[in-house]
Parts: sequence; structure tokens; C-alpha cells
Amino acid sequence: MVLKINNITKNFGGISALTDVSFSIKEGEIYGLIGPNGAGKTTMFNMITNMFPPTSGEITFLDEKITGFKPHKITNKGICRTFQNIRLFSQMTVLENVLVGGHTRSKSGVFSGVLRTKGQRAEEERLRVTAKEILELVGLSEFEDAIAENLAYGQQRRLEIARALASDPKLLLLDEPAAGMNDTETADLYHLIKKVQERGITTLLIEHDMPLVMRLCDRITVLNFGKKLAEGTPEEIQNNQAVIEAYLGSEGDDESA
Amino acid sequence: MLGDFLNPYYLQVASFIMINIILGLSIYVTLSSGQLSLGNAGFMGIGAYTSALLTINYDMPIVVSVIAGAIVAGLVGILIGIPSLRLTGVYLAIATLGFGEVIRVFMINWESLTKGAVGLSGIPQIGRELLKVSRDAGFNPLDIGLKNNQYVYLLVLIILVIINILLIWFLVRQNKSRVGRAFAAIKMDEKAAEAMGVNITYYKVLSFVQGAVISGFAGALFAHVMGYISPADFSYHRAVEILIFAVFGGSEVIWGSIFGATFMTLMPEVLRFISEYRYMIYGAILILMMAFRPQGIIDVPLLQKLQLSKRRGKHGSKN
Ligand SMILES: Nc1ncnc2c1ncn2[C@@H]1O[C@H](COP(=O)(O)OP(=O)(O)OP(=O)(O)O)[C@@H](O)[C@H]1O
Ligand SMILES: [Mg+2]
Repeated sequence: MVLKINNITKNFGGISALTDVSFSIKEGEIYGLIGPNGAGKTTMFNMITNMFPPTSGEITFLDEKITGFKPHKITNKGICRTFQNIRLFSQMTVLENVLVGGHTRSKSGVFSGVLRTKGQRAEEERLRVTAKEILELVGLSEFEDAIAENLAYGQQRRLEIARALASDPKLLLLDEPAAGMNDTETADLYHLIKKVQERGITTLLIEHDMPLVMRLCDRITVLNFGKKLAEGTPEEIQNNQAVIEAYLGSEGDDESA
Repeated sequence: MLGDFLNPYYLQVASFIMINIILGLSIYVTLSSGQLSLGNAGFMGIGAYTSALLTINYDMPIVVSVIAGAIVAGLVGILIGIPSLRLTGVYLAIATLGFGEVIRVFMINWESLTKGAVGLSGIPQIGRELLKVSRDAGFNPLDIGLKNNQYVYLLVLIILVIINILLIWFLVRQNKSRVGRAFAAIKMDEKAAEAMGVNITYYKVLSFVQGAVISGFAGALFAHVMGYISPADFSYHRAVEILIFAVFGGSEVIWGSIFGATFMTLMPEVLRFISEYRYMIYGAILILMMAFRPQGIIDVPLLQKLQLSKRRGKHGSKN
């Protein structure tokens, strides 16, 4: 198991965003996390990356307990995320954003950076080559020098993925990557996530676009009001009565952002 | 010949500009990771007093004492930085301003060491020391047509210019490196930076301490250029002055605080009558800048425009 979520509960004051949720993700899987707005999906990402500590429960990554680790350390261990409400370094160029993503996979400090030692130059070169290759993968090569905030919305979403990939993760957390994308972009996104899988990266995907989720995911967990409602393959989920009532049935009038 | 050009007064103003540029850079480097520290007047004082006392009481060479002053300021910076970097924005600004005042109160009250509000005088001056060295080496400034004070001020200015070039070179290169990217990432989005694996505590403390070291360094130079210092030199007024360098000149790019420090040092010298109303004008500038150009006079788009027109001038339409 790459990731094990064990009995995670998270309370924000009076609200319980997550109640006793458990699931596990196998290596190489694309795992879906779905549910209505406010179900606690993003909160689960925040638990995994420890942006907030859980109220109770624990999370293990590759058999190591990561609960309580600082977020940057978790990234260093091999988990990296994107944000539902895009959080790029907006005044940096596209390439620079991806270079920051490579931060944990490089180590030069103040003096090697200023003196441009041989090792530092080699490291920068390696970061750049990797960054450009990732930009190629997500289809943003031609925008390498553009300022991030000037990109179109769908491009910004792809840049978020590129930035996360630059940290060379074993587990990639995608929070609604298709939000705001048109049909062509969503189709491209499908291929991108598949290519990421081919690279041996495990993906945990939050997404409201049901056709995309059902096509991509190997297994899915459904959350509702912070509780786990169901877990299974796409077919099982689509035929689950409780899920249909709570979520899939109401999909038509669900205005998800 | 050369002697007719060199007015000691202008040379001294130029030296103050150089010291103020260093102070401007000290606030810039901390701002480059998104933190506003107003404690740099305090760190400047620590550097100044440390270096002055080491030379007066222990006959330490100025080169060594200035470095010691910067290091002591940096060590205090670590002590202050680690707890106060839990604070952000205006809270950090207030806390560091308070720190500066605490330092000043120390300087006033620790009379046995600092001579209190009167301050320290008779601090070895860089220029005079160099003059002595030149004399011992059998060199007389008159040989190149310079009076003693011209020679002294000229040497000081040259040294300060060299220091500034090195410092700017250091910061420009740092900006373009992994460390600089981490600073910028934290400034733009702290949470995202952390999620990308940047150890934000480490880099925030680093940029805070760099600011402390640089201002301590500026303070030590100040002591050995002036020859006397008192707690009033490192008061709240100084903190505001340093802030103005960045706010007026521009806090986003290194050239901003350099421009700000230069302009703000020249202005009261050129417009003598302004000198009296200095702090009133600072206040007005702060308010106007916040209202109309919060990023300061020099920002990225302006630099790009300048660069473009320069290139066009050089190669026609190329690039
Ligand atoms: N930092 C926070 N402080 C207080 N309450 C929060 C916080 N973060 C989330 N919540 C609450 O926790 C609940 C779950 O929110 P969460 O963002 O995890 O939902 P979600 O499943 O991602 O929804 P969406 O599909 O709209 O993104 C909501 O009721 C939300 O208001
Ligand atoms: Mg969400």
C-alpha cells in the first residue's frame, strides 16, 4: 500500500469535516475521491499533506507514519498536491514555477548559489532539463517564459500539475484538475493523468466530472458529510443506491466550482 | 588637477548614500521573502556599537571589528527571528519596531559600556587609519595632488562603492538561485511554497538574518565613517528612514531600494530647506506611495520598459 488513511477525523470548531474515514491506495492506482460540495474531500488532502493536523487518526505513506510531519517534509517523502483554488506563484514565469517544484530534489544553498560552483551549475541544469521535459508533458512548453498569472485558466491548472510533478512524487494529489476546463482540455487531462500513471506515479484524484472519474479511476471512495459512504470500482459506485441518492442522482443540479 | 574636482563635502554625501544603500538592501532582502522587518535600525546599532567598542577597547583592526559587528547583529537576528517569524505582516513589523526600541533603551542605559545617551566618540575612522598606513608606506596624498581630507574621503568612498558592488552582486546572484526562488515563492504564496517542499521556517529565518547581518554591517561601517555614534542614530526615526528607502524606491526589485536610498539621501542635501521638515515629508511620501504606487517608483514593468528601450537603441529592432 502506498497510502493508508486510518480512521481520520477532523473537526473545525463545531463542524466535523471528516468523521472516522479510512481507505488505502495501492501502488500505481488512480484512486478517486468524490462526493458533494463540502463533503470533506479537500480537507482530506489537507490531512494527508498536514496543512492542518487531524483531530484523530493517522496516515501512513509507504509504511511510514507521516501524521505530524511538516508539509515540506511530506513533499520530500514523495507526496505532492495541486490546489482546487489555483495557487501558483503568480508573478513567476511558468518555468520558474516548475523549478520551485523541484526544490526538494535539489540542495544548493546560499554560497554555492552565489558562487555558482560546479555542482550548483550542474544541479540548475538538471532542474531546468527536468522542468522543460515536464512542461512538454503537460503541453506548456511554448509558454515557458510567460508569467503564470497571464495563462488561461485551463493552462494554469496544468501548470499546477507540472509544478507538483517536478517534486518527483510517488503519490500525486489532484484537487479538481478539470474544474473550469472545456471538453478538449478535459480530454487532454485524461491523457495526461494516464501518462502520469505510466510513469509509475500513484494518483489520488478529487473530481466532480463524473465521466472523467469513472473512466480514469481504478477505485473510488465516496464521501458524504465527512463520512465514507462507499468504496469500490467505478461500476460498483455507479450502481450503489446510497451513492446515487446522495450524490450521483443530484449531479445535474450540482453547480461545482 | 584631480584635487580641484573633489569637494570633501560631496564625497561625504556620496559615502552616506553608499551606507544608506546597504541599509536599503537590508530591508529589501527580508522583504524578498515577504516579511516586513522594521528592526534593522536596531541591528544597525548593534553592529555599530559592537565594532566601535571592539576597536576602542581592544584595539581590534577595523576590518575584523566590522565583520564581528555584522556577525553579532546576525546572531541577535537568529534569536529574535525564530520566535517572531510566527508573526506575519503588520504584527511582525510592530514586533521588530519594538525590538529596535529595546536595543536603543539598552544603549542608553548600559552606561558603563556604551556611555549612555552621550554616545561613543573617538572611534577609529577608516579614512584616517588608511591615511596612517599610506604615510607609513611612504606615500603622501599631495603626490597625486590631493589634500589629506580629500584623500581620506575619497578612499572611504571607494571602499564603500566596492562593498556595495559586492553586496549587490551577491544579492542578484542569490535571487537567481534556488534560495532566491524559495524566497520569492514564500513571498507570493507561503502555503503553496510549503506544499512544494520549501522549508518556510528556515528560509524566513534566513532572509531575516541576512537583513540583520547586512544592517549590522552598515552600522559598523557607519561608526567607522562618522567617528562617533549615539543611541539617537539608531532610533525609530532611522527605522522609518530605512523603510522609506524601500517603500519609495520600490520593494519588489533590488534596484528599488538602491534608488530609494540614493534619492532620499540626496534630497535633503540638494534642497537644504527641506531638511527641517524631513520627517513630515517622509510621512507624506509614505501615505502618497501607499495610495498611488504601493510597489514603489521602480517595479518590474518599469525595468522591462527601460531594458527594452535600451536594447532598441543598441540593435535597432533585434530582440
Ligand atoms: N479551514 C477550515 N476552517 C473551518 N472549516 C473548514 C475549513 N476547511 C474546510 N472547512 C469545512 O469543512 C467542510 C468540508 O470542506 P472541504 O473543503 O473539505 O469540502 P470539499 O469536499 O472539498 O468540497 P468542494 O467540492 O466544494 O471542494 C466544509 O463544511 C467546510 O466549510
Ligand atoms: Mg474541495
